[in-house]
Amino acid sequence: MLVLGIETSCDETAAALVEDGRLVLSNIIATQFDLLKKYGGVVPEIAARRHTELIGYIVKESLDRANKTLDDVEAVAVSSKQGLIGCLMVGVAAAKSISYARHIPLIGLHHVEGHIFANRLSHPELPFPHVCLTVSGGHTMLLYVKDGSTYELLGTTLDDAAGEAFDKVAKFLGLLYADRNTGGGRIIDELSREGNRKAFSFPRPMFRRKELDFSFSGLKTAVINKFKGPLARGEKLPLPDIAASFQEAVVDVLVAKTMRAAAEKRVNSVSVTGGVSANSRLREVFTETCQEKGIEVFFPDLSLCTDNAAMIAAAGYARIMRGETSDLRLNVFPNAPLGG
Amino acid sequence: MIVLGLDTSGYDNAVGITDGDKVLADSLFSAKTDSLEQIVANIDSVLKDAGLAIEAVDGIGVGLGPGSWTGIRVGVTVGKMLAFATAKPVAGIPTFEALAYTARDSSRLLCPIISVGAGDAVYAGLYNFKNNEIMRKGDYYVGGIAGLTELITESCVVIGTDISSMAEAIARATGKDVIPLERKPCGAAVACLAAKRLARGESDDVLALTPLYLKESTAKAFVNKYAKKS
Repeated sequence: MLVLGIETSCDETAAALVEDGRLVLSNIIATQFDLLKKYGGVVPEIAARRHTELIGYIVKESLDRANKTLDDVEAVAVSSKQGLIGCLMVGVAAAKSISYARHIPLIGLHHVEGHIFANRLSHPELPFPHVCLTVSGGHTMLLYVKDGSTYELLGTTLDDAAGEAFDKVAKFLGLLYADRNTGGGRIIDELSREGNRKAFSFPRPMFRRKELDFSFSGLKTAVINKFKGPLARGEKLPLPDIAASFQEAVVDVLVAKTMRAAAEKRVNSVSVTGGVSANSRLREVFTETCQEKGIEVFFPDLSLCTDNAAMIAAAGYARIMRGETSDLRLNVFPNAPLGG
Repeated sequence: MIVLGLDTSGYDNAVGITDGDKVLADSLFSAKTDSLEQIVANIDSVLKDAGLAIEAVDGIGVGLGPGSWTGIRVGVTVGKMLAFATAKPVAGIPTFEALAYTARDSSRLLCPIISVGAGDAVYAGLYNFKNNEIMRKGDYYVGGIAGLTELITESCVVIGTDISSMAEAIARATGKDVIPLERKPCGAAVACLAAKRLARGESDDVLALTPLYLKESTAKAFVNKYAKKS
């Protein structure tokens, strides 16, 4: 079954064609980094306007790149839960129009369910049950994934998402405005390679707490408070050291909590997904730690880490195979819990 | 030529179908904040009531706004993706134009007015209906009613929702005869105007179709203002 996936929950306009939930024929993503740089963050109204301008072109491109037409498409899957309401609406409006005009099934699903499936696209052998850490600019969640459709939320961030902390620290350090078409996470990752991870000791929030929840706002504030004085005085900051030390704190917390979750749930497989799963230090520490503990860890291909529609098509396919579809009244739920 | 017209710029889903000069359907569904939830199902029910399948539609007309920003995004996205998925032409029609079209029997100046939703600010346009065509006079207007009255120098028909108090204010300020015409966005009017444009071969680029916001987002306006100062 050829599924068209559509994803517009935040600031990526994306469409993809995926065959049988496995084979990615096209995966088109238009990012809004230019707007992120200009406004220092995602402005919902501006992002929604951009989605409206682009959605037709992106869907067309996903068909052309796969050498397919809408005649070949057998179902449409779309992110309809979790995200910015005005942004989600554009994708859902497009998806239901295509579904109606082509008389093909429509399935709306939770954005984070897409991220869980991103790793199944890269690693069809990823076993159930497993513990999934899904971490991006919009969410940081630890999940117990029983099978392809049931999840138990083990922990979530109480304030900022990890990726949000990366973006905000990068912005504070003046790195977002570099002439680079990329978000804060990647800039800090690259800069950290030249830095000393132990140069500064930043807090590891909730590190010793038994709960599996996260908090990154305090860590972000600690970085800002430590350097805002020197920055205001125009002092030259040791940017690579700051980046590496901050990144290490985030990575330590993410890995430790995930390991605790894996132990509690007695699973031997861990899946790490979402935009932050592209972080090279996170991958390195996870790989080392999991090796010591005899746990297998899975990361998606880099093209499937950040928001994309291939993962939505794959997750939608799984739901359709279970006999689920959405009707033409499909609506958006910006704060919907995962599952159901 | 069968044309489907839709407009979700207000608090309603307006859906109409025309065949040449004949109006086959013209429905208005109350949609408060659930335009997205309702619009495609409403299009389906209007087509079914007219005994038509979506494949029978030869072209699509979309009310571009101005109006609710979310509303016009929903309408424009649905309109263009329906056109894309059925490989039919699309024509974007400013909601002003469709409102003015509903008063085409009048030889007066036509002034459709749409509330911005903040203070007394309005979006407005000035139109004449001549030789069976809607002709716009000057630029669109965005601002307070007081500024709008300066543009109105002759007796006119003002068209829109909750229009009587605005008509009185304009009449007081201009000393002209102002007729209020209470009208909501109209799917059949959008379809009629789209049919005229499509018949002339003036379809819009389906993928490029975007709403007529007439106002930048608050964040953008703020950044632009700041950028100009520094």
